[in-house]
Amino acid sequence: MWIYEKKLQYPVRVCRPNPRLAKEIITQYGGPDGELSASLRYLTQRYTMPTGQAIATLTDIGTEELAHMEIVAALVYQLVKDAPLHEIKEAGLSSYYADHDRALYFVNASGVPWTAAYIQSKGDPIADLHENMAAEEKARATYEWLINLSDDPDVTDVLKFLRQREVVHFQRFGETLMRVQDYLQCKKVY
Amino acid sequence: MIGPYKMRLARAYIPFQRYGQVWSPAEGLRRGTIFPELFSPYIPRDKGSCGTCQ
Repeated sequence: MWIYEKKLQYPVRVCRPNPRLAKEIITQYGGPDGELSASLRYLTQRYTMPTGQAIATLTDIGTEELAHMEIVAALVYQLVKDAPLHEIKEAGLSSYYADHDRALYFVNASGVPWTAAYIQSKGDPIADLHENMAAEEKARATYEWLINLSDDPDVTDVLKFLRQREVVHFQRFGETLMRVQDYLQCKKVY
Repeated sequence: MIGPYKMRLARAYIPFQRYGQVWSPAEGLRRGTIFPELFSPYIPRDKGSCGTCQ
């Protein structure tokens, strides 16, 4: 069960339309290393975690990734909602527009729809936690490439916040991996 | 050997964070973390306005 707070974890205020930037940032909505992939991966894997601490960490981080998905959605929508059609065409978003107008849909930067094949749920906590640490690094790298692509300081500010959260999550998954490895090792010994 | 662990091959090690000094909630929101030791901002590249200068 979740409790919803009717505000974003980090505020999003975009002043001018920028469909080119929206087309790139949407990959963190529905791309392989995006926030939907992250949240669903952690919230699904938690059932086969062996300790309460690991289950709680996956729940907490999976929940925060849902909040990040909402931030990315707000960014993309504010960048396209007032964009005139000719700018959408020039940005290469006309094929997206044909299917979705300015609505949000889970695609990567090339328009490929999200697939569950982006994520794994292996039933092996060591394998899953390594995947999650890699996922945090891939998301961090994606935010860095998006920061390089951004020409809007208000957007860059939000991307920097989201990137820093990935760094913190990596540390938390790392600590969880240490605890789970020790737990599984103890079970073997005794 | 680092810390209390006898390091084994074929497994990963991450140092545990110790709770210490923290920033205020407002500062933490601005930076993305309340922990100074976890704050590692990105220095953008590929930002030059011309092709030759970095």
